[in-house]
Amino acid sequence: MKKRGIGFGNTFYGTGYGNGFPDVSNAVAELRPDGRVAIYVGATEVGQGAKTIMSQIAAEVMELKVEDIIFINEDTSITPDSGTAAASRQTYNTGNAIKKAAESLKKEIIKRAVEILELNSETGLKVENKNVYLKTFPDKRVTFEDIAKSFKDNLLRKEEVFIAHSTQMDEEEGQGCPYWPYTFGACGVEVEVDTETGKVDIINAVVAQDVGKAINPLLIEGQIDGGFAMGYGYAIFEDLNVKKGEIKHNRFSNYLIPTSLDMPNVEKIIVEDPESTGPFGAKGIGEPVMTYVAPAILNAIYNAVGVRVTEVPVTPEKLLKLIVEKEQRK
Amino acid sequence: MSNMTLNIVGKSVLRVDALSKVKGEAIYPQDIYMDGMLYGKTLRSKYPHAYIKVDTSEAEAIDGVIKVLTYKDVPGHNSHGVLFKDHEVFCEKKVRRVGDPIAFVIAESEKIADEALGKIKVDYDILEAVFDPIEAMKESSPKVHDNEDSNILYHYKLKTGDVEEAFSKCDVIVENEYKTSMVDHAFLQPEAGVAYMEEDETLTVCVATQYPHFDQLEVAEAMGLPLEKIKIINPAVGGAFGGREDITLQIHLALAAYITKKPVKAIYSRDESFEAHSKRHPYIMKYKTGATKDGKLLAMEATIIGDTGAYASWAPNVLRKGGVHATGPYEIPNVKVDSYAVYTNNPFAGAMRGFGATQPPIAYEQQMDMLAEKLEMDPIEFRLKNIFKEGSKTATGQILAESIPLKNCIEEVTKRINTIK
Repeated sequence: MKKRGIGFGNTFYGTGYGNGFPDVSNAVAELRPDGRVAIYVGATEVGQGAKTIMSQIAAEVMELKVEDIIFINEDTSITPDSGTAAASRQTYNTGNAIKKAAESLKKEIIKRAVEILELNSETGLKVENKNVYLKTFPDKRVTFEDIAKSFKDNLLRKEEVFIAHSTQMDEEEGQGCPYWPYTFGACGVEVEVDTETGKVDIINAVVAQDVGKAINPLLIEGQIDGGFAMGYGYAIFEDLNVKKGEIKHNRFSNYLIPTSLDMPNVEKIIVEDPESTGPFGAKGIGEPVMTYVAPAILNAIYNAVGVRVTEVPVTPEKLLKLIVEKEQRK
Repeated sequence: MSNMTLNIVGKSVLRVDALSKVKGEAIYPQDIYMDGMLYGKTLRSKYPHAYIKVDTSEAEAIDGVIKVLTYKDVPGHNSHGVLFKDHEVFCEKKVRRVGDPIAFVIAESEKIADEALGKIKVDYDILEAVFDPIEAMKESSPKVHDNEDSNILYHYKLKTGDVEEAFSKCDVIVENEYKTSMVDHAFLQPEAGVAYMEEDETLTVCVATQYPHFDQLEVAEAMGLPLEKIKIINPAVGGAFGGREDITLQIHLALAAYITKKPVKAIYSRDESFEAHSKRHPYIMKYKTGATKDGKLLAMEATIIGDTGAYASWAPNVLRKGGVHATGPYEIPNVKVDSYAVYTNNPFAGAMRGFGATQPPIAYEQQMDMLAEKLEMDPIEFRLKNIFKEGSKTATGQILAESIPLKNCIEEVTKRINTIK
């Protein structure tokens, strides 16, 4: 028989290294001779979308198109250290560093524009699409390219650093401010359990994720889908089957992960509540998006068939055994 | 903030690296070929705990084998590790897990390197091993690291209020033990890399990594070279999820290129990849949670044991994060948490998406449902009575000042989940 049930899970998640560990991101913004802006950071693109959202942050500050940002993050000999692509920290930490570096660069560009345009103040100047001009008299303008040229061979470069706050906790009672900021989220799932085979299918899923401020909604949706798949795998499929220290499931033919055929349609709701210390209010969501999935599935299994599974993954064998035991107790 | 007008932030801009990836133009480490390139293969331990003696002479005699590297060839520190330097570049006296690197063959082709792997003689003097973290915590257990008098690597203690007294005042109490399995990041692209010497003697390693600057430091320390002589180039990365935070082949390749003065490449198969990188810590979580009859959480006690396998990697930080997140997003005035990181001879565990805070929700969210059931209360209503909101105080005494929209998240989900029928 197939039985359906609904389950719910919610979590909070502290981002950054935490516990007072130095959490430092550096970023450089540089005006290129062609008027475009290069951003140098040590942050890696591991598939999370760093190159894109960090280019968006720089473009927003510089009033440029994303195509006018040259994002350089591949080489330790030319990029500053921006910390690891982990702890859901790159959007918040390196995002902040890039925002600061771009703001610094913009300030210098405006300062130079005042000199070139022979103005007595920067009041009334607007930056737009690689131009600096007087709002009330747009003919009074200078391009980023001309500003860059005015520095001759010395490229205009600004480096800034962002350091996140957290405190070490006391050793005896673990009190303190271990992480900042925290991110929140909730997940609901509907499962269908086959009581004859122990197989669990996810029929429907809804996720609401707090992001502070969405920098790129589509990329957040991608993270939510990916996080759901990973949480789903954790709850139902994945086990390395380690026997006497040896991994028995060491290839994808026996280490099973969800495929697109297993994935339900996940309804994704982005909840915005800006964090004042984040870049444009943003918080990182790479990790929290997987944390509420497994508990929601486990609660849904209970709702469907009335058995509590306290060990993951809930393989068909494990679940069937629990269902049979429950029937026998009746 | 609200009156700020934004042009690009908030827009679903197309990924800047999307086209190159879907068109197959993005360069991953495996795609790099250089003239005169050599190939490297790692010999790994077959046993979880043993003293070793290695003889590479027969392998080195094979035509096309340039050299077989062992611990003797490491010019700097034969060690690495994100928190403690407890991983050896090549095991010297002892292996502590299946898959520990013992030697690295450098050969003219992958085929010859494979052949040479089979000719390396390793004399294993098998030691008693420990695979269960609870066993490993006992004084009598075999020690994974000789220099440690206990396998307990870290103990995080969290305490607020008076748990015992609070439980005596609870109308409902739920007590359970939960277990999570050891899992892999299962990223798409197995480890691969190329190292070479540049004309100015800079030692360059191209490798998919999560933190190039830290790799640079680890390679420099093992090579005994100044930091500025090491360059890490990060090509396209096919997923990471925490599995690329610890060193795998970076130092082996750097050493091979430095010694041979030629480009050297290594590509892991999927099964080697499973052996080479960290795993998610399996947790054993004992939870006791209590509430009053009007649905207010009053007390929670948890013991969390995390198996970090043979190496620390990020274990103290992972188990601390697990402990800090053990309450879930709930105001509980009386809390006691003890979380432990324990060495065993299992595969080593380190960073993985959620970093120690992925496991506790499996326990605390089921506890919430069970308490609600005992109270005959709707589980959502029960949660809403207890969740963090602006001004809430966490179990570590932290005040949550702003951007705490958990209530909105729950309401958004419940609005829609009720329509799933």
